[in-house]
Amino acid sequence: MRRYFRLYLHFLQFSFSKAMEFRLDFFFKIFMDIAYYSVNILFFKVIFLHTPLLGGWSQEQMMIFVSTYILIDAICMTVFSTNMWWLPYHINRGDLDYHLIRPISPLFFLSLKEFSANSFVNLLMALAIFTYTISNYPYSYEAFDLILLAGLILNGALLYYCCQMLMILPVFWTQSARGFMDLFYSIGIAMERPDKIFTGWRRFIFTFIVPFSLIASFPAKLFIEKFNWPTFLHVIGVSGLFWMIMLSIWKKGLKTYSSASS
Amino acid sequence: MIEITNLSKSFKSHKKEPGLKGSLKSLFRRQSVTKMALKSVNLRINRGEIIGLIGANGAGKTTLVKILAGIVHPTEGSATVLGHIPWERPNEYRRQMSLIMGQKNQVWWDLPALDSFLLLKEIYQIPLDQYKKNIEFLAETLMIKDQLKTQVRKLSLGERMKIELMAALLHNPQVIFLDEPTIGLDLSAQKAVRQFLSEYQKEFSPITILTSHYMEDIKELCPRIAVMKEGEIVFDGPLNQVQKMLGDQKVLTVTSDKSIFKLHVPRESLAYETQQIFQNHNVIDLNIQDPPIEEIIESLMKGGTTS
Repeated sequence: MRRYFRLYLHFLQFSFSKAMEFRLDFFFKIFMDIAYYSVNILFFKVIFLHTPLLGGWSQEQMMIFVSTYILIDAICMTVFSTNMWWLPYHINRGDLDYHLIRPISPLFFLSLKEFSANSFVNLLMALAIFTYTISNYPYSYEAFDLILLAGLILNGALLYYCCQMLMILPVFWTQSARGFMDLFYSIGIAMERPDKIFTGWRRFIFTFIVPFSLIASFPAKLFIEKFNWPTFLHVIGVSGLFWMIMLSIWKKGLKTYSSASS
Repeated sequence: MIEITNLSKSFKSHKKEPGLKGSLKSLFRRQSVTKMALKSVNLRINRGEIIGLIGANGAGKTTLVKILAGIVHPTEGSATVLGHIPWERPNEYRRQMSLIMGQKNQVWWDLPALDSFLLLKEIYQIPLDQYKKNIEFLAETLMIKDQLKTQVRKLSLGERMKIELMAALLHNPQVIFLDEPTIGLDLSAQKAVRQFLSEYQKEFSPITILTSHYMEDIKELCPRIAVMKEGEIVFDGPLNQVQKMLGDQKVLTVTSDKSIFKLHVPRESLAYETQQIFQNHNVIDLNIQDPPIEEIIESLMKGGTTS
């Protein structure tokens, strides 16, 4: 465990020294993300110009949800996104060879090696938005609620990573260039909508099959509304299940890679 | 010790006729082709030994090396390296093994070599004093001390290969697989790499398997060779025994006023043949030699005998 932590510190160090070299890229990325955040916040602000409540949530409550998914998005962009971009290429080109011979988990290495230092500033920004929203929250909450929300935000980031991996891993078999990443990004929008708008079969899909509603909406709901076990267990249960499915497909993928590589 | 028993590996691939029509056809009905990359290979290599693996492209050298490195699962048969089954990839085995592929990089391009080495130090948990000692020894022997702080992508091909070698040997592996370590290098870089490998072997005596297209590599480094052909090992033994395989033969190179030609002649009829040549041709120059090893091995790889 300590070894992995120290390795990660090395990854961080490399990423920052690399990022400093590409200044233009650095500033462009920050600009892009500011635009992204503004659009998201404005979207709901505009809606609230016309209605005091949306799905039973006031504007301040909705902002909790918005800043939650912005934060999760920022975490994933910073920690995983560059790695997820390269992973299908590595698999297709047979670059896993050197990862398999090292006495270290190849999944750890391939998922976390490229820390996106460029997005790090945006992570700080997202964190600032989140803190601002919480400190301006007019309703009462307890320390427990906040800690739970923080924990579920981390869980949401992991679940997001899991879903993304599940779209990439078919590359082991299909040998296609990007797996189902396009599909992932188009369904991924569901993460940015409160789960209340999904009813019937759509609700089932977004809370069980492609559980984007569990990433940010359920955690926000637990904070805004009263804590309840069913919602909590739903998030934890499905997340755990997805994690296990992802790991087992990863293992199968490696096996396929092993028997096809030459 | 490496012990390989009846090791086989087959690949399945799809056959596709050329053109769009062929693509459409293969969408609905696929003809799969099974290719045997390794056919029941047996091999035993002892501690401290260095063995040269020779063969044409597609003879199965790389597949064999990748199985032993734990990257590829075999279809049948067994293999143990240092008592471990390689494709189960136990950490204990991976810590003692190293693979160098001349065609693939393992160090990070955007970083100076020393940064990559630090990461490897962490991965292999190399103690600091051993790490320092190894860097010192490797950089010295490879004569690359000044390039360790330069970004790897700014180095020349030869320098990069030396960095790869350093990276692969930092953790003092007991088993080393070298897959064409001199590919694409110029003569002086090839020579430097060879010299280093032989020195390293003397100093640490690991088990080494070396595959190469360059006979020079093999001749200089490997007292023992294994020749592969279509997935089988067709010869395994001391390098100097290869020459005896064809019996006692001599190669005559004859330069006459009209042409130059070569003859392979059994030793006992050497005198007679030479007489004949002098009678029938206007000989300017005559050269009598042992057949070169390259030629013998080439004929082993093709499966015929030299004429």
